Amino acid sequence: MIVIQAAIAGALTGGLFAVMSVGLSLTWGMLRVINLAHFGLILLGAYLTFQLATDLAIDPILTLVITVPLLFLAGATMQYAFDRLALGEFNSLIVSFGLLIIVVQVVSNLWSADFQRMDATVNPYATRALTIGPLAFPLPTLVAFAFAVVIVGSAHLILTRTYPGRALRAFAQDRPIASAYGIDHVRLGTLLAGATGGTAAAAGMLFALGSAVIPTAPFEWVGIVFAVVILGGIGDAVGTLLAGLLVGAVSGIVSVVVSPAAAPLVIFSAVVLALMLRPNGVFVRRSP
Amino acid sequence: MLEVVGLDAGYGQALALEGVALRVESGEIVSVVGPNGAGKSTLVNVVAGLHRARAGAIRMDGVDIGRMAGHRFCDRGIAIVPEGRRLFPRMSVRENLDLGAYRRGARAEREATLEWVHALFPRLAERGKQLAGSLSGGEQQMVAIGRALMARPRLLLLDEPSLGLAPVIVDEVFDVMRSIHDAGVSVLLVEQNIDRALAISSRAYLLLEGRVTMTGPAAELRASPELRRTVLGL
Amino acid sequence: MIRRGSLAFLAAAAALALLAFVRDALGFPVFYLVFLSSIWFWTAQATSWNILSGFSGYFSFGQAALVGVGAYTTAVLVGRQDWPFLATLPVAGMLAMILALAVGGLAFRLRSLRGEIFALLTLAVPFILASLARILPAIDGGQGVVVPTPDVSDIVGGFQELLYLLGVAITVGALFVAFLVQHSRIGWGLFAIRDAEDVAEGLGVPTFRLKMLAIGASGLIGGLAGSVFALQIGFVTVEAVFGLTIPLFVIVMCVLGGRDHWAGPLIGAVIVVTLQDRLAASGFEGWSMVILGTILAVLVVLAPDGLVTRIRRRPIAVGLAVIVPIAVLTLADLGDGLIDRLAVGLAIAVVVAFTPIPAWTRAWVRARPSVRGATAADQRVTTADRYLVGTTVPAARPEPTPVDPAATASTEGPGPHAIEVVQVAKRYGGVRALDGVSLRIEAGELVGLVGPNGSGKSTLIGLLSGVLKPTSGRILVAGRDTADLEPHRVAHLGVARTYQIPKPFESMTVRDNVAMAKMFGRQPVGLEEARHAAERHLALVGLADRADHRPSGINLHERQLLEMARALATEPQVLMLDEALAGLNPAEIDQAVAVVRRIHASGVTIVIVEHLLRVVNQLATRIVVLDQGRLLAEGEPTIVMQDPAVVSAYLGRPADA
Repeated sequence: MIVIQAAIAGALTGGLFAVMSVGLSLTWGMLRVINLAHFGLILLGAYLTFQLATDLAIDPILTLVITVPLLFLAGATMQYAFDRLALGEFNSLIVSFGLLIIVVQVVSNLWSADFQRMDATVNPYATRALTIGPLAFPLPTLVAFAFAVVIVGSAHLILTRTYPGRALRAFAQDRPIASAYGIDHVRLGTLLAGATGGTAAAAGMLFALGSAVIPTAPFEWVGIVFAVVILGGIGDAVGTLLAGLLVGAVSGIVSVVVSPAAAPLVIFSAVVLALMLRPNGVFVRRSP
Repeated sequence: MLEVVGLDAGYGQALALEGVALRVESGEIVSVVGPNGAGKSTLVNVVAGLHRARAGAIRMDGVDIGRMAGHRFCDRGIAIVPEGRRLFPRMSVRENLDLGAYRRGARAEREATLEWVHALFPRLAERGKQLAGSLSGGEQQMVAIGRALMARPRLLLLDEPSLGLAPVIVDEVFDVMRSIHDAGVSVLLVEQNIDRALAISSRAYLLLEGRVTMTGPAAELRASPELRRTVLGL
Repeated sequence: MIRRGSLAFLAAAAALALLAFVRDALGFPVFYLVFLSSIWFWTAQATSWNILSGFSGYFSFGQAALVGVGAYTTAVLVGRQDWPFLATLPVAGMLAMILALAVGGLAFRLRSLRGEIFALLTLAVPFILASLARILPAIDGGQGVVVPTPDVSDIVGGFQELLYLLGVAITVGALFVAFLVQHSRIGWGLFAIRDAEDVAEGLGVPTFRLKMLAIGASGLIGGLAGSVFALQIGFVTVEAVFGLTIPLFVIVMCVLGGRDHWAGPLIGAVIVVTLQDRLAASGFEGWSMVILGTILAVLVVLAPDGLVTRIRRRPIAVGLAVIVPIAVLTLADLGDGLIDRLAVGLAIAVVVAFTPIPAWTRAWVRARPSVRGATAADQRVTTADRYLVGTTVPAARPEPTPVDPAATASTEGPGPHAIEVVQVAKRYGGVRALDGVSLRIEAGELVGLVGPNGSGKSTLIGLLSGVLKPTSGRILVAGRDTADLEPHRVAHLGVARTYQIPKPFESMTVRDNVAMAKMFGRQPVGLEEARHAAERHLALVGLADRADHRPSGINLHERQLLEMARALATEPQVLMLDEALAGLNPAEIDQAVAVVRRIHASGVTIVIVEHLLRVVNQLATRIVVLDQGRLLAEGEPTIVMQDPAVVSAYLGRPADA
């Protein structure tokens, strides 16, 4: 029973990883930019949620009205700059590493380097849980899971059903030919990066909902999120959700059955294995 | 309709085209033939906006489009069937075709064009949901041509459409080319199957080491012993 | 070079060590020792990073893992097991090295490992170790580990002196290792890997082994310095050793200092530590990460080659830019002590170094020989020499002339064929690139490999050079099956190739590109001998007067000739030229053809893949025609090109039409 509880709770936590990962995975796959600064945007999202909810005394989820447009703008601006500087995949990684460090330090200077948590009066979600029979699930993970399903679901629909979405996929598969058929990559890329900034706002909010925030939090996320991105398949939205759930569930089970210390080892080994056996992602249905 | 003047193009330090001049009138099939590495692909890629010229002009209906952004060439009525098909392999046949109609001018007529493409290649209607990467070479070539037609081009560029295909399929491709032409689309054809290319064209250019060395009515080139000698390097 | 270097390093270590003993007498406060110890720690870490990431190009974000393993090993053994500190030092180094080798052993075995994936893998490693340490009580358990100050013998002086001396020993040692690596075959191999890994492997460089050596050395140095770091901070916590500060610092130091020279990390560490120290002293410590992050982002975009190359272009100007301000400030008694003045001097020097050189001096600088190459004066070969060398080679090796079919036939003796291809097929997914091709290439032949686009020529070249492995069938080089051999072993069997798009090692001079191949040939030689031998190959292709240029400074034609010279330096039995004439103008083609004839006359068997049939027909002793993955025809050029099957493959009609 305890194992089932751990697996389900873990899988639900995986929803948060999926929200953190999906934008990163898409911008990597479609735009060939590995944007470590995405973690900085998530951190900003978390702190803005904390600050706005506390100051305005509103439901933390409502802060998205402000944070999503803000981080959309930030993400889009960054991509536009990357594009202008013609940064390759590798240099984008290093430059955005510098940007991430800057954001972390600025956040730490503005909000202090200590843990901060939304007051229980502002954040009604933190302490509640949903109980089904013998199983109990904390509300924040349920909310995160719901967001993950909605975000990944809409990303999937946009990518498969709309012209801009298909154009992005085409662009990822063959840039010059996509361009020859009229696809303007600068505009679409900026849009996608903006949307990714929006998901960072959501991920930050979801994190602040369930946990105390601290400026160094991104360094805790980086390993797991990249595990999810690589396991899910770079550029595969649905893959990140499945991988998020898988990673969450495995961590949950391993933590209970073996020891919490073993969880990151198991995940890391899974990533290495995935890289060796399925370099295009574990959930890719058919090889191209 | 298309007029190319004094075109220089290359990759890095390598010069692939030097002072190439070429034109395609409305309603023509024009072929560019020549040995491998002569610069044929570079030529169509430059005309399609895939590769930028170093010098010279590319005029479409008298307007120089050579300095335009690559993604705006198709708005001028140019569509390419690139060498090696280059479909979007992880997308379905239908999605590949729809992307052909990405440009605004073509989107409105999407359904009608799709009917035409399905009439030309009935097999594509059956394969709509299949991933393009999983098709056979012949079917891929059909999708590639279909995708280009979806853009409602006035000038269709075909780069080695018979490459790597079985003879039966090559026949089919050439038949389709004729019906596309009959529908009023001009064609610029690059083909290493020189004989077939010349048979279908009204005029032709022989490209050799980046320069146009012969040009004239296709039948004339076809009969010329000079052509055969140059291509075989004898 | 190496002997002089060793002495210089020994002298530097002695002088620096002496400082600890005479500090009191000179009247310097202890604080300076602390400051210098910090520089030593960071220099060692940056050097550790640079040996792997700077030299080989495999960027690591995982430096903290090495520091962490080193620091925790010492902390746990000293703090909890009561080991004497010095005994823990080697254990810390070994454990960090084992970790590094394990990561390398996994990562470098991944098929087509890309730099980004390696960077991300290394990013994850410290994170995993941190969570392990936090949770396992035997290591940390979330409490942190106290490292008691060891007893310091009177000879050394105080605790700070001990830290300082350990720092000097490890750092000078690390710099010396980096110096040795840079000036040995290992370093050249690593540079080649960074510039063009597949080419390096094809020229005979054992890339996997070299990368493992680099990552092992990196781990050892990182662990040793990490061990001292534990003593320095006295209280080891997960946050102190596994954070991203460490990778950020070392990466900024190396990118700023310069990644292709052993001194780069030292220069970067001095600047960054001084900056950090001054920021802390003026109360801006909170912004140092912002500044470093900005420096990193700006440098990667604008000046990725760092300071070392710029300093070496004008050492005097930069040197004066450091010393003059310090002297002036000292004389005027401005600034708060030495470090303030040093900071000002360094700042001015950095500005000077990054200021573009005015055009009139640039011409003068270019005229000087490159720093890495040997001096031009004693190595430059005159035009007369070039032809002398070119003509003496065939005499030295009695081999058949290219157009003599009888001579070609005579080599078909009992010995193994140069290359034998037996019923080889290669499939990619469902596509058959090659299908049942059998082929023999005899010593002394000049085989033209032709065929329409997509006929399988490139695949065949890939298979012969060992980069691709056949789906079925066998490939024998000098009688030996190459199925299980890595490409560099196939190269050692005597197969070399050139690339249609030349891929020179951009960071090396033309001469050193060739010397590289020589150093990793069947009989490995040292740098000087290799450079000397390189002259002969450059002369053979007519590039002797370009020996001191960088590849970026020569034209496409010359880059193609460089490809040939470099391939020749591996002393191949068979040389494969892949579209070596593509993109050349007619005059250049004629010249290249003459070079190919010279190479053939010197006794090398040649397989030439070429679209220009006119040229192949003239050159080749035999033509092999591929079409759609099958062998269509082979034989004497003019006869083969009249073959109806060949004519129709090229023209699409029967021969008589």
